[in-house]
Amino acid sequence: MKNIKISFVINGKKEEREIPPNISLLKLLRDHLGLTGTKNGCEAGECGACTVLLDGRPVYACLVLAPKVDGKEIITIEGIGEEGKLHAVQKAFLAHGAVQCGFCTPGMILAAKALLDERPNPSRKEIEDAISGNLCRCTGYLQIVKAIEASGKGGKGEV
Amino acid sequence: MPLKGKVGESIPRVDAMDKVLGKALFAADFRMEGLFHMKVLRSDRPHARIRKINTERAARMEGVVRIFTYKDIPGKNLIGIINKDQTVLAEERVRFVGDAVALVVAHSEREAERALGKIQVEYEDLHPIFDPEKSLDSTTLIHEKGNLLYQRDIVRGDVEKGFSDADLSIETIYSTSMLEHTYLEPDAGVAWIDEKGRITVYASTQNPHYDHREIVTSLGIDPSKVRVIQATTGGGFGSKLDITVQCFLALAVYYLRRPIRLVYTREEAYLATAKRHPLIMKYKTGVRQDGKIVAMYVDILGDTGAYGSYGIAVAGRAAVHATGPYHVPHVKVRARMAYTNRPFCGAMRGFGVPQVAFAHESQMDLVAEELGMDPFDIRLLNAFEPGSETATGQILKDSVGIKDCLQRVQEHSKKIKEEKASPGRLSGRGIAAMWYGIGNTGMKNPASARAELNHQGMFALFTGAAEIGQGSDTVLCQIAASEMGIGVEDIRLIRGDTAITPDAGATSASRQTYISGNAVRKAAARLRVMVLENASEFLHVPVKELSIEDALIKSIRDGKTLTTLEEVAARCKHEGKKLIGEGFFDPPTSTLNPETGQGIPYATYAFACHMVDVRVDPTTGEVDVLRVVAAHDVGKAINPTNVVGQIASGVAMGIGQALMEEFAPGQTGSMREYMIPTVKDVPVIIPIIVESPEHTGPFGAKGVGEPALIPTAPAIINAMNRALGVKIVNLPAKLERVMKMVLKGSGAVG
Repeated sequence: MKNIKISFVINGKKEEREIPPNISLLKLLRDHLGLTGTKNGCEAGECGACTVLLDGRPVYACLVLAPKVDGKEIITIEGIGEEGKLHAVQKAFLAHGAVQCGFCTPGMILAAKALLDERPNPSRKEIEDAISGNLCRCTGYLQIVKAIEASGKGGKGEV
Repeated sequence: MPLKGKVGESIPRVDAMDKVLGKALFAADFRMEGLFHMKVLRSDRPHARIRKINTERAARMEGVVRIFTYKDIPGKNLIGIINKDQTVLAEERVRFVGDAVALVVAHSEREAERALGKIQVEYEDLHPIFDPEKSLDSTTLIHEKGNLLYQRDIVRGDVEKGFSDADLSIETIYSTSMLEHTYLEPDAGVAWIDEKGRITVYASTQNPHYDHREIVTSLGIDPSKVRVIQATTGGGFGSKLDITVQCFLALAVYYLRRPIRLVYTREEAYLATAKRHPLIMKYKTGVRQDGKIVAMYVDILGDTGAYGSYGIAVAGRAAVHATGPYHVPHVKVRARMAYTNRPFCGAMRGFGVPQVAFAHESQMDLVAEELGMDPFDIRLLNAFEPGSETATGQILKDSVGIKDCLQRVQEHSKKIKEEKASPGRLSGRGIAAMWYGIGNTGMKNPASARAELNHQGMFALFTGAAEIGQGSDTVLCQIAASEMGIGVEDIRLIRGDTAITPDAGATSASRQTYISGNAVRKAAARLRVMVLENASEFLHVPVKELSIEDALIKSIRDGKTLTTLEEVAARCKHEGKKLIGEGFFDPPTSTLNPETGQGIPYATYAFACHMVDVRVDPTTGEVDVLRVVAAHDVGKAINPTNVVGQIASGVAMGIGQALMEEFAPGQTGSMREYMIPTVKDVPVIIPIIVESPEHTGPFGAKGVGEPALIPTAPAIINAMNRALGVKIVNLPAKLERVMKMVLKGSGAVG
C-alpha cells in the first residue's frame, strides 16, 4: 500500500507526515509521533485508554483511521499541561487521589477536559456520562468523579 | 514550615505527577534504537502431545530474525512461584489453549505475527479434562504427580460433637466463576543488554525479584548477569505475579544480544495469563438457639487449571479463612485444588477469600433468618475479639477491629433509611463481614529496604516493592519521612530494580504496607541513629538530646537547630564514612500442621464490614446497587485518601464479581465479552476508616488492598436475597440468572 501525506495540528503544532493509509490514529500517535502518553488497552474501542480530542471532541484513537485526521486538530495528554502549568483537571486528579496505576489516566483526563470545555460546571450525571466510555479497574471511579467535580467548581482543581 | 508527608497525611501520590502528564514510562512506551519485536505461538489444543515443531518455513519469512522453541532454553525449562510445573515453552505436551509453544523474533510486529502462522506443530490430542471433580477421578494425568495439586485440612475441636450440640444446622453448596483481572495495561516488556553486559528486562510486574530468579534458572547463568526493572505497571490484581513476557524476552536477548519488545494484545492477555480460581464450597453451619455458632464443616474444591501458579496459596488461604471473622469451637475444613485443562488460575485480589466470604456470609444470613435474628446481631455475637481463638488455634491479640467495623456500619444503617419497595421495584439491604490475614500463609515472607544519606545530604530510599497502582511508593515514602524527620519531597525513591534494590517479596497478599513498611521504617530508624551519632560527635551533645525535625538536627531541650543533614553528610564524606541504614522484617508466623492446619498463619489480620442497598427491577432482572457503606479496620491509615481509593476500588470490583464478571474459556476472548464495572455501575460509596492499631505494624498499620474487595459481593447477594426472597448460591448473579429467579420464585438458584 502506498503511503499518503496528511497534515494536521497536534497539540498546537502543525505537522505533516507520510503514513500508510491503513493505520489508526493510535498508531500514528504512539509509533510515528512518539506520543506514548496515549495508551493502548484493547485496540477495539472497549476501554477508552486511548481517548484523545479530535477537533475538541473525545474519540477513541484506536477506532479512528489516521488519514481521517487530515486537516484536523488533535490534542493528547502531552498537549494540555506541564509541570508548574498543569491543567485544572490534572491538578484535581493529583489532589483528589484520582490516579492509581495511571494507565486510564490520560484518556480519563481528556474525556473530562472535553466535558469541562463545553460545560464548566457539570452535574454528576454529566460527569458520569462523559467518562462512561473510559474504564478504570483501580479507583472505583469515586475519586475521579470527585476530581472532575472539583475542577469544574473551583476552576483550579484544588481541594 | 513543617514538611509534608508525615504518616496520616493525605498527600498526593509521589508517582502521580508523571501519570497525569502522560510521561510515566509503561513497558509498551519504551522505545530503543534497533528494536526487534516478538510474538508468541500458543497452543490451540487444550491437551495434546507435541509430536513435532517445524519452524523452517516460518524462519524463511521476510523480516524474521529467529524462532525459539524449548530446545533453545539453556537452563531449566520449568517455572512457578510456589510449585514448579509450568514450562517456559512447551516440550512434549500442551495443557491448555494458550500454552506457549514457540517465539518469533522479527524486525516488525507484523512480520513476527505473519511468521507465527507458518510454524507447523504436529499434535496428538489427549483426553481433555474441564471439570475439577472429574479430574480427581480421571486416569488421565495432566501432571505426572497426579491431578490433585494440593489439599489443606484444618481440624479444631470435635466437629461431630459440635453438630450434635447444635439446635440448627444449615447446609448449602456455593460456587463461583473463573474471573479475569482485566488490569487496564496488557502485559508488556522490553529487554536489552545494559552497559554492564547484563540481560536487562524492563517489564510490567508485581514481583521483579522473583522474575529475576526465574530468568536466571531458565537461562542457567549467574544471577549477576540478569537485571529486572519494574516498569510503571498498569494494574495487576495478582495476575502479574506470574511470569508473562520476562523469560521469553530474556531468552531471545541471551541469543541475539539486541533490544527486543513484547507487548501482549488484550486478547493474548486474556488467553494466556492467570485467572481467578472458581471454587465449589460445601458449607454446613451448626448454631445454638441463641445464635452462637458451634460447628462448621467446609469442603472446598477449586479448579487451578493447567498449572499450579498460586493454587496452593489459594487453597490454603481459603481454608484458613473459611469460618469468616467468627469464633467457631468445632471446625473441620478440607480445601483441595485440582488440575484441569482450562486456563491456569493464580492469584487474584484476595486469594480465595472473596470466594469463601460469599459462602460464609450467605450462611450467616441464612442462620439469622432461620433464628429470626438481626444480621448485625448474629455477627456481633460471634465476631472475633481480642483473646479469641481462630480455627487454626491462633489467639488474636490486638488490632481486632471487626466489632468496631460492624458497629460503625450499624450506626449508618440506623441513619440511612432503607429503600422502600414500590410497584415494579424490589429493594433490599444486605451486610457482609470479612477478615484477611496480611502476608503469605504460614511461611516466611520477608522484605528488606535500605535508606541512605549520600555525601550531599540527599536521602535515598531503596525498595524492591512493586508499585502497581495500589500506592506503595507513596506509603513507603511517608513511613520513611516520618521516621527520619524529613519531608516526602526530600526523598529520592529507587524502586524495583534487582541490580540495586533489596528484595521486598511480592506485591501481593496486601503485604507491602505492613511488611515493607516495617522494613523501611527500620532502615530509616537505623539511618537516623547513625546520623545523630555522627552529629553528636562534632556537636558534643549526647545523642539522646538530639532529634531530626523538618530535615534539621535539633536540640530536644530547646528545639534549636544545631546542624543540618548536609553538614553531617559532608563531615562523614571527609571521614570516609557511609550513612546507610538497612531494614528487614519478616512477620512472626508459624508453619501450619499438615494434618490439622494448626498454627499461626499470619501475624495480623484486617477486618471489614460492608452494607449494601440494592433495587431490583423484576421485569428486566436489572440490579441497581444504590449505596455501599464500607468500614475497614486498617490499623492505621498512612494516607487516608489512598485508603479511600482502595476501598472504592474494591467496591467496584466487588460489584463486577457479584453481578457481571465471568470468564468462559473459549468464549471470552476480549473485553467485549467480559464486562467490568463502568462509572455508571458504581453507587454512592461511604467509606469508614477504623484504626485499631497493630503493635507489630509500622505506626500501627496493616493492609487494605484485598480486604477492600472482599465483603462487597456477599453484601450485594445478601441484599438481593432479601429483595427477591431467594437464595443465590452461584456467582455472578447475572441478569438472566436474576430473571430466572424472579420467574421461579424462591429456592436455591444459580
